[in-house]
Amino acid sequence: MTDARGILPSTAAYGTLMPCQVPSTTLTRRFLMPVPFRFFAVPAFCLAVFLTPPMLVSGDERNSPVFENDILPIFEARCADCHNAAARKGDLDLSSMAGVRKGGESGESAVLESLEDSMLWIMIEGGDMPPEGETPLTDSEMELIRRWIEGGAMSASIEETPVTQHQVLPYLYTRCVVCHGARRKEANLDLRTVESILKGGKSGPVVVPGNPDDSLILKRIHAKDMPPPKELIRAGVRPMEPSEIELLTKWIEQGAISHEIAPDVQTSVPDSLVSDEDRKFWAFQPPQKPPVPATDISPIDAFIQQKLKARALTPSPEAEKLTLIRRVAFDLTGLPPDWNDVERFLNDESKNWYTNVVDHYLKSDRYGERWGRYWLDVAGYADSEGKRSADPVREHAWRYRDYVIRSFNNDKPYNQFLLEQLAGDELYDFENAETVTDEMMDALVATGFLRMVPDGTGSDIVDTVAERVEVVADEIEVLGSSVMGLTLRCAQCHSHKYDPIPQRDYYRLVSVFQGAYDVYDWLKPTSVANQSKQKDPSRRYLAHVSDNVVSGWKAGRQPIEDQIRDAQKEIADREAEFRAQLIEEKLTDIPDEVRSDVQALLDQPKKKRSEAQIQLAEKYEKQLTATTDELEKQFPEFKKLKAAADKKIKALQTDLPPQPMIRALWDRGEPSPTWIFRRGEFTNPGDLVGPGVPSVLTDGRTPFVTAPRRPGSTGRRLAFAEWLTDAKHPLTARVIVNRIWYHHFSRGIVESLGNFGQTGVAPTHPELLDWLAVSFMENGWSFKWLHRQIMFSDVYRQSSALRPESEERDSDNRWLSRMPLRRLEAEPLRDSLLATSGELDVTAFGEPDSVTVRGDGLVTANRQEAGWRRTVYVQQRRKDLPSILETFDLPQMNPNCVTRPNSMVASQALHLLNNGMVRELALQFAQRIETKAGNDRYKQVEYVYQDALSRKPTAEETQLALETLSLLTAEWDRHRTAEERPTADSDVSPPPAETQALANFCHVIMNSAEFLFVD
Amino acid sequence: MFQTNRRTFLGSVANGLQGAALASLFSQEFFSGRQLPGAETPHHSARRAFDLTPKQTHFKPRAKAVIQLFMQGGPSQVDLFDPKPELDRNHGKSILKDIAKDLSSPDAAGGLMRSPFKFARHGQSGTYVSELLPHLSKFVDDIAVVRSMFNTHQNHEPALFKIHSGKLMPGLPSLGSWVTYGLGSENQNLPAYVVLDSPEGQLPTNAGQNWQSGYLPPLYQGTRMRSKGTPILNLKPETDEPSDVERLSRDLLARLDWIHKEQRPGELQLDARIASYELAARMQLSASNALDITQESPQTLKAYGIGEKTTDAYGRQCLLARRLVERGVRFVQLFTSGQQWDNHSSIGTSLPNICEKTDLPIAGLLADLKQRGLLNDVLVVWGGEFGRLPIAQMRDGTDLRKAGRDHGPPGFSVWFAGAGIKGGTVYGNTDEIGWNAAENRVSVNDWHATILHALGLHSEELFFEHHGFKEKLTGVEKVRIVNEIFA
Repeated sequence: MTDARGILPSTAAYGTLMPCQVPSTTLTRRFLMPVPFRFFAVPAFCLAVFLTPPMLVSGDERNSPVFENDILPIFEARCADCHNAAARKGDLDLSSMAGVRKGGESGESAVLESLEDSMLWIMIEGGDMPPEGETPLTDSEMELIRRWIEGGAMSASIEETPVTQHQVLPYLYTRCVVCHGARRKEANLDLRTVESILKGGKSGPVVVPGNPDDSLILKRIHAKDMPPPKELIRAGVRPMEPSEIELLTKWIEQGAISHEIAPDVQTSVPDSLVSDEDRKFWAFQPPQKPPVPATDISPIDAFIQQKLKARALTPSPEAEKLTLIRRVAFDLTGLPPDWNDVERFLNDESKNWYTNVVDHYLKSDRYGERWGRYWLDVAGYADSEGKRSADPVREHAWRYRDYVIRSFNNDKPYNQFLLEQLAGDELYDFENAETVTDEMMDALVATGFLRMVPDGTGSDIVDTVAERVEVVADEIEVLGSSVMGLTLRCAQCHSHKYDPIPQRDYYRLVSVFQGAYDVYDWLKPTSVANQSKQKDPSRRYLAHVSDNVVSGWKAGRQPIEDQIRDAQKEIADREAEFRAQLIEEKLTDIPDEVRSDVQALLDQPKKKRSEAQIQLAEKYEKQLTATTDELEKQFPEFKKLKAAADKKIKALQTDLPPQPMIRALWDRGEPSPTWIFRRGEFTNPGDLVGPGVPSVLTDGRTPFVTAPRRPGSTGRRLAFAEWLTDAKHPLTARVIVNRIWYHHFSRGIVESLGNFGQTGVAPTHPELLDWLAVSFMENGWSFKWLHRQIMFSDVYRQSSALRPESEERDSDNRWLSRMPLRRLEAEPLRDSLLATSGELDVTAFGEPDSVTVRGDGLVTANRQEAGWRRTVYVQQRRKDLPSILETFDLPQMNPNCVTRPNSMVASQALHLLNNGMVRELALQFAQRIETKAGNDRYKQVEYVYQDALSRKPTAEETQLALETLSLLTAEWDRHRTAEERPTADSDVSPPPAETQALANFCHVIMNSAEFLFVD
Repeated sequence: MFQTNRRTFLGSVANGLQGAALASLFSQEFFSGRQLPGAETPHHSARRAFDLTPKQTHFKPRAKAVIQLFMQGGPSQVDLFDPKPELDRNHGKSILKDIAKDLSSPDAAGGLMRSPFKFARHGQSGTYVSELLPHLSKFVDDIAVVRSMFNTHQNHEPALFKIHSGKLMPGLPSLGSWVTYGLGSENQNLPAYVVLDSPEGQLPTNAGQNWQSGYLPPLYQGTRMRSKGTPILNLKPETDEPSDVERLSRDLLARLDWIHKEQRPGELQLDARIASYELAARMQLSASNALDITQESPQTLKAYGIGEKTTDAYGRQCLLARRLVERGVRFVQLFTSGQQWDNHSSIGTSLPNICEKTDLPIAGLLADLKQRGLLNDVLVVWGGEFGRLPIAQMRDGTDLRKAGRDHGPPGFSVWFAGAGIKGGTVYGNTDEIGWNAAENRVSVNDWHATILHALGLHSEELFFEHHGFKEKLTGVEKVRIVNEIFA
């Protein structure tokens, strides 16, 4: 007992000794409770006491339990079956104090100075341990453990583990290497390795092993010269915490020991935290093509009908031809079918008519805009950076949007699509290429997928390691939810609670990204370096655009540049004239005898002047020159001309298309090491890990191997992408076919589209899912192939009418006993309003259309010359989403959207009923109908139905429409006569009553349920 | 009601049913006994169908509604609720070397600065309030002052995100969104969560991001109601048209939708959509009515300071807040114009200005709520995103008369009144100079949990599943309800 010694510093008296790492950031409320403040009495008034109150000493030391005597017996009896030196469940060994201190999988000691922070106590107190089914600890056992931790976790064994560089380096990376590292070596000092630290910099070695007092690094830190206070914000670092300085001091004191520590990577030895049992979960097994249960119908129908039969359900009958045409058109293009096409399809009596319909829309350029948009949701596409209130616009992001749309239109195989998006920068040696080809550029643009999350680091004040860690975490979340169907981010702070994903697997993924996203060596997301830092190249944009794009850009600039040059020349010429005139006038002041000599100087080049001429020029300098300012003062006419020219030139310059850039992610070849952040805190680094993939998705025995294709890159993301797109991957194909299925049927086979793990929803049709996944891969990962399979099936061609049997036994349509009735999403709704009114401009691609924010908060996209472009081309700024889109559930991307909500609220009705633009479109629609149908009300009604609802009206509807139209016309007439007639000089006269009435009718149709829903 | 058949319904427009009658027919005939798709408990997100019908609380609530008097900019605690004699004693003393790293602009930092304003004890409770709030001083026995709040960022933007949505970043659901998600609304004809920005016109920093719904459905987003012009976006047609034209159009729409629906029996989505059109129509009436303050007596208007130059704007906001909670609106949030509490300079004049604008209207509101018995059910909360530092900030040199105070997140004062609040309470303390919250510290998360608690919601049980996480307003932090302020 007398030998017992607290292994944790319980009082300040412990001084610099830190036998066990203690996170300095986790001061709990307990320590911030009333502390006697006596500042004004203390001679050296120090406010720091406010911020770091003295630790409380709890318990009576003499009574504090000691590990070996009091605690070990409990652990041996209750915990050691699993947590012993051999089994080490959860990587934890409780059979020795060393094991307790080593802690579990995150590498954090199981006991910390605060009870509430100690993982051991958290697990015990929360009832998580011992696990369910085991006898719980008794109250007295718990009390003993509590007192033991509170008493400083005393142990009889004095184990002084020396501090190694492994503990110190993370803090040097966090605080120093931004200036003393790979890219910048201020004072010729590199603090990344022990070797380079000992070598030192301009002022010699910075560390004297064994002698902290003489070590320059500590001197500079203590003097608060390092990190330089003035550079903190710019460099995105903060000063070292006292505990970090203590650790560094101790490391130097102990001789700056360097141990070879290899990062923890996957090897042929299975990870102890992931068992083969874990791998047996359905979603972690590679999909196998199941036998199809029937052969007389399509495989999809066979699987669907098998389930229906089991529930005494039958499929619904086939929908009507017109319904199918409208369904297919909206499904594939997000637009109502053109009436000419509808008529053509209706007249197509052939057996293949339906195939023709599907193929027609699959070939449409509008297809990529519809299906690309779905992908943009999961990618979290946005034209702004988010994070900050200012929400700065994200330049050139649209190239990625265009890449996605083109990829869908070209039916780019999904594996290729993923490979480019995850590792496009590693596919080609773009840096050394003589010419950048379109393929190369495309691959770089594709990596924009990994650049879409909110990123506030463009602002110096926000650009901190913490914020960068968030960016990486968001990217991993997007990757997990969109492509892998896993909630990976859960493992950022601790091993996943439900899925077998240890925390180290999360950090292996971080390491995969570290070649490009390095939190210690960061590039800002801004495209244009701000003025004060034009020389700072650290921005995450590439100028490696293809020759085609460059020539297109130059061609676009040429005419404007010509105009600028012309304007510049013109004003320069005039300036020369005025200057000559002024100098002429000035020369008259010169004495006659030298005037001609001076005059001669004007034509004489400076270099050829004789000694005498030089003297003369100096003497009469004023008379020989005339500054622009002088000219402006002297000649008001010139001043005016100059101002006008400057204004014109400036305007032209802003019209110049900006240099094409790519918002890419690229591997920079020299990643910093990756440490597990205990509890997700970057100030609390743990074990060193290397790149890898979640073990549960592998056989557990295959190491992660990188083979860089591009010189100067790590090849990590390439290896990851190749692993992900391997045909044996359990999730990749399943997740995407499920998503495509969802967009056709409003319901995934796995309902939780972004979560195929334990907490996800089990598939309703597991065999169908696997059949689709395997067949999709067998057919070249082709989306269009998949659409055809789905859309040619009977299940897709069913009627949407609700039958009693469906209502009774399939009320949520889980078994697809009918086609669901679907509300248009935000984009198809807006696009349909535009298309119907004839105001849709189908110009594709390029810079997004800007939006206007009105004083009352209404946000509307601005009209282009030929009308409004499709919604996918409207600027998607996080904070100013167009009101109609937001009202109809287009979410803010934070960071992405896996499933959109589908709300039905009054603000939607208010928007369609009252919004000025919708009303304006109704008027345009009416005027368009009038040009086609003239004054024939009957024809007008018919055309409105055809264009807006893709069908002809029934007799009843026609009658209703005609009656309403005549009443409306009468109202407008009455209103008109009552109102003052428009005066002659008013340049806009309101449309005639007939047109107004028709506009009202069109507006009603655009508000009708039939317009908004697709059967 | 009679049974409609298709013939009579579709019969000639001219002699048929019209307008409002039709609307009521729809709602009563076709929806009777029908359960619209909606969440039964506030925490069920799998179906992704949401509505604003009243929801079960987790336990018996103290408050049914909240009026949040939000004072963005950062009201100075040591000049309003938290007198510090030590500042008087050490006026002018520099503590710069100890605090430089916590300042955003150390260049402008002066020494400790005593309050230019006098404090006095008020009411039975003897609560200290400074001379800047003479009207509120009369209500100290109805309010509970918390002097130990703290926020975690020095800049407005992140601090505002934190206080409105629990974290320092944008894109997360605001408190009002969580409350309406959890509780629905008592009035289906008005938005459940109303934001009243100042008629003086300047939106707060972060503008609409202060009342966003984040990953919660947009249904729960705050609806900005303006006291001038059209109160809600798209509430009225942007172009004028004769009322009969509107009636005829609505009528036709109802008929067409009826035909459409009749061909698709059992489609709840269509019922929900028709209901949304019905609500839209009722909202047009209700919203206009709720905002029509000409219905109030001259005495009431006067009590709120309406008609007086200084107090008119905020008085209107306060009165509207009462009219809205009276009608069952769940969460009403008031913003002052711009950043008037952000007194970086000349605090001796700038702070009295904003106090004068808001003091009387707030007292008027408390009196009015009390007199109508509403104060028993409505929780009133007052405060900003942070407070101010007890040292002088001198942007223009050394002129103490022009001194202000810089942002002070480490310790500041807020207050609560109404439903279940123990009036006359003063809870928590800052340190001796009013810099840090020292005693009984209340975090923003604690503050959120406390407001939810008053409404009968448990912060741990109010969650929304998003990306596989059970997201909560209070996040993963352990929170403590400030039970001490409740009676």
